[in-house]
Amino acid sequence: MSDIATVAAATERRFRMPRFLSSEHPFPWLLPLISMLIVFGIYPLLYAFWMSLHQRNRIKRVDEFVWFKNWGTAFGDDRVWNAFQVTMTYTLSALVIQLALGLAIAMLLDSDRKGYGILRGLMTLPLVVPPAVAGMMFLLMEDGSFGVLSHYLYAFGLLSPERPILATGSTALMGVLLADIWQWTPFMVLIMLAGLRALPKEPFEAAAIDGANSWQMFRRLTLPMLSKVIAVAVLIRGVDLFRIFDYVYVMTSGGPGTVTETMSAYAGRIFMTGNFPYAATLALLTLLIIFVVANIFIQVFKVRF
Amino acid sequence: MSFKDHDKRTFVVDACNDFTARRITKRDFLRKMALAGVGFSTFSAGMLGGRRPFNGLTGLGTPEARAAGHTDVEKWLKEVGGKYSGTKIRYSTEATPPSIVANQLAQEEFTKLTGIEVEVEIVPLEQVLAKATQDVQGQLGTYDLYYLDQSWMATFAPDTIDPTEYYASDSELAMPDFDWDDFSKPLVDGIAMYEGKMVGIPFDIPIAILMYRKDLFDKYSIEVPATMEAYMEAARIITEGEKDNNVYGNAFQARSGHYSLECDWTIFLWGHGGSIFNADNLFSGNDDFGIQGLEYYQKMLADYTPPAATTWTWDGQFQAMQQGQSAMCISWGEFFPGMDANESKVQGLMEHARPPVETNGRRPVEQAGFGEIPAVGHQGGSVIGLSAYSKNKEAAWIFMQWACSKDVMARVSTLGGGASPMRLSSFEDPRVKEKAVVGPGTTRHFDTINWTINNAMGSEPDMPLWAELANNDIPVTLGKLLTGQDYDGSAKAAMDELAQVVDQKVADAGLR
Amino acid sequence: MEPSHASRTLRDIVAVLVVAIFMFPILWWGLNSIKPYSAIFDKDGPVYLDFEPTLDNYRVTMMGVSRVELAIQDGGGTYGAGGASSYDSRQTILDSIIVSVGSTIISVFLATLAAYALSRMAMRGKQHFIFWVLSQRFMPPIAIVIPLLFMFRDMGLRDTHFGLILAHVLINLPLAVLLLKSFFDDVPKDVDEAAMIDGATRWQSFRRVVLPMVRGGVAATAVLCFIFSWTEFMLSLYLTTSIRTLPVKITTFVTSTGTEWGFITALGTTAILPAFVFILLVQRHLVRGLTLGSLKE
Repeated sequence: MSDIATVAAATERRFRMPRFLSSEHPFPWLLPLISMLIVFGIYPLLYAFWMSLHQRNRIKRVDEFVWFKNWGTAFGDDRVWNAFQVTMTYTLSALVIQLALGLAIAMLLDSDRKGYGILRGLMTLPLVVPPAVAGMMFLLMEDGSFGVLSHYLYAFGLLSPERPILATGSTALMGVLLADIWQWTPFMVLIMLAGLRALPKEPFEAAAIDGANSWQMFRRLTLPMLSKVIAVAVLIRGVDLFRIFDYVYVMTSGGPGTVTETMSAYAGRIFMTGNFPYAATLALLTLLIIFVVANIFIQVFKVRF
Repeated sequence: MSFKDHDKRTFVVDACNDFTARRITKRDFLRKMALAGVGFSTFSAGMLGGRRPFNGLTGLGTPEARAAGHTDVEKWLKEVGGKYSGTKIRYSTEATPPSIVANQLAQEEFTKLTGIEVEVEIVPLEQVLAKATQDVQGQLGTYDLYYLDQSWMATFAPDTIDPTEYYASDSELAMPDFDWDDFSKPLVDGIAMYEGKMVGIPFDIPIAILMYRKDLFDKYSIEVPATMEAYMEAARIITEGEKDNNVYGNAFQARSGHYSLECDWTIFLWGHGGSIFNADNLFSGNDDFGIQGLEYYQKMLADYTPPAATTWTWDGQFQAMQQGQSAMCISWGEFFPGMDANESKVQGLMEHARPPVETNGRRPVEQAGFGEIPAVGHQGGSVIGLSAYSKNKEAAWIFMQWACSKDVMARVSTLGGGASPMRLSSFEDPRVKEKAVVGPGTTRHFDTINWTINNAMGSEPDMPLWAELANNDIPVTLGKLLTGQDYDGSAKAAMDELAQVVDQKVADAGLR
Repeated sequence: MEPSHASRTLRDIVAVLVVAIFMFPILWWGLNSIKPYSAIFDKDGPVYLDFEPTLDNYRVTMMGVSRVELAIQDGGGTYGAGGASSYDSRQTILDSIIVSVGSTIISVFLATLAAYALSRMAMRGKQHFIFWVLSQRFMPPIAIVIPLLFMFRDMGLRDTHFGLILAHVLINLPLAVLLLKSFFDDVPKDVDEAAMIDGATRWQSFRRVVLPMVRGGVAATAVLCFIFSWTEFMLSLYLTTSIRTLPVKITTFVTSTGTEWGFITALGTTAILPAFVFILLVQRHLVRGLTLGSLKE
């Protein structure tokens, strides 16, 4: 370390660092982050809350203060309840599928042999497609009359042309999920790969000597050792899933009926018709749910950052 | 509304001979198309930047079509517009043919003459609404001009400057030979007027007409349907006859929860003598005629329309027609040129006709509420309005007059690929008439459009709540019904519930 | 336990197959971008190679050829959905790069400082603080877009590159901080302690000793920030008018008379390339860093 110290000492002579940067208190280091988050995060949040306490008077064309009227409306709104259920179904199914697929594909691609690096690189490609564009991609592929995906679903008898995937209540959410799964499974693969690569080798070698088969090793070793990684992955992904908007907006507008209308999609629709206070209420309600659930999750699974 | 005296002044463009294409060889046909396209572009040679010479083709242009006042206009642009040189004006618009073409012409002609820069922001319709609402509520002054759909007129009426008043009050800025009477009167009343104020200048007029496959009609000896019953019967014959070819009789724009579904619904609601609101401003989609219209729609959707139609907006409906999957539709006339385009699978096979006459007769305007005009020819027009919050009112006003001037509007109709005209003079413009042949950007459907505007144009209610009802409550309820999520297929149950919701909202907003 | 040759081959095949399935939508997309419009749709089934490839879609979106001009060259061929020069997307690519690179640099800079402090220094309620930072990511964009719009109006940031950069920094910071902290955590504390015993200040040990050791982590974080900014839609849409980022621009190709699938696919394909190059460059680090520190005890 002495050479480093020499360099450091030499630097010290050349410039004198501002005093606060040489102190041991973390505050100066965190200051830019904190101010950024307060100005562009907390303030807008409070503003949104303030907005949610208003209602547009369409005749006088002003926003009137109405206390918690919007919140009352939201709790009595059947579509909010429906949207909540849709969002939960969406989030949970996407999480389970993406987690399972992600882990499986990560284990499949976790090899140092030639070519696997390229495969891993290719696997990340879906991540760079803007979600709005990915939604359009799948809309084109799932179109009931012209879509390539629909074509094969019909050809293999999985669906009938009479019941196109996005037009049928029972399958529409699956249709939207397909886009999400395609785009975000690679993200899970990346996280899981990171976890797998960081695992110690010794326990596996010892187990192999004891004659354990691969399933046993997966059950007894890989899974428990990865549990923390899985928890973090579920947290990060779950939060994003709960706010899902782009795919629904582009692919179904929440239809058929309101079968695929998630919380954010509903808020987005209200937003686009110009009722900003109610849209803010719905968005804050979503935030509240995420906040509470995430907090519980962190407590239960003892996630440490 | 006096259609009669209006009719007298209206020059109806001669119907073209649609079989021209079949009498000449394909090669000659395509050449002719190319020439027709270029013929108009001889004017455009300059406006397209003049990069490509059109030697030998100029003769095909019709230089006399450059309106007599054209040089006056140029002079006016230079002298009056030039004062505001360097100003930048902005507007936000949906990607409609007129707005896209106006955008291009603005850069290449208007800015050159005046030095006023024009920045057009193009976004999908529902985002235009959100952006305009933001601008108005925050008084941002982001936009100098608004693109306003007819269904938002009441919402934005106080936010724009009445163009006729501005024109009269400031003669210095008034464009020579603007000719307000040249605008189709029913259009102005239907799209642009709200409680006596002209919110903006009509700029785009998609209107519902009947479009059908002539070849299939010939094959099954079907007459052009003049009634709703005949329309369904034609749909049935074609759907049953063409089952093996995967061709359906009808196409809808029935995406759940989308404004397009609301448009579709009104066509058949009005088409069965119903109305959205009654004279007491109560929702009346649940009366007998309303239910009849909706049940008709349900049957049509279930039996004679591709099942994917409940995921389609106007885009999917257009696609189905252009790909030959559906043989008929009652929908936006602006689709028609696309079906005649080269990439279309039904080029030259499509014909247009007046929309079928209303079953039970048309409900009189006095019996409908909130300024609604019931009639089968649903219009989805829009205006450009001058923002009351604009910081560059003068420059924006000069641009607005130019964009809505006779010359520009006529060219928008041809360059825009056969976009329906707003001005009577556009129907007569030689450049427009020259395009009335089978081929890309055809204008051969303009006579039908013109007839529909003057005789069967339906307009949605004008009320500040309408944008929300039309984009949310109505299409969502319809979506739930049509896709079987709720109401067990009972149109009555769906409409009764909708009536409750709508009446409640109207009352809450203090509009009744 | 050495896997047999056969099982290795089987694994290779399955791996290639799985990746191929995930590649299919992108390949299909790319294929559509060189199809003439009439081959994108066919009611009787998908068209694979039975078409005449064309670069028209790229000429219009990336080479500044006007839609109308193209139509004239083709003999009035593609008038269909109307349109003109608004499909030229070169400025869009530039805007997107400016915003993404700008927000990436700022995010990574701020996050590095914060992450180092969180990794190295004692702080009361650190876990709560980190949760608070993370919770900024919970925010649905719809909740903050109006407030941000009004703020930006007053600050003169509306419709500026810098304004949008700041908005993207906001959505990127939480993940960037978490990610970088995990990289710093991987470097044993003894390293900077040793440096400081030798007389280096906190700043020097950070700047000269620890930071060079987490270069890969910084790169991985940068790529993720870049991707999230590159693909962000809501805020970009509402906070700008003249600046158009890629996802926003693409949605404008949905017109009232038909969706311009040819241009959408062409621009979509172009949009993937730059981001993919970044990913390939740091793929190794990306894989290392994404556990977010959850593996340390």
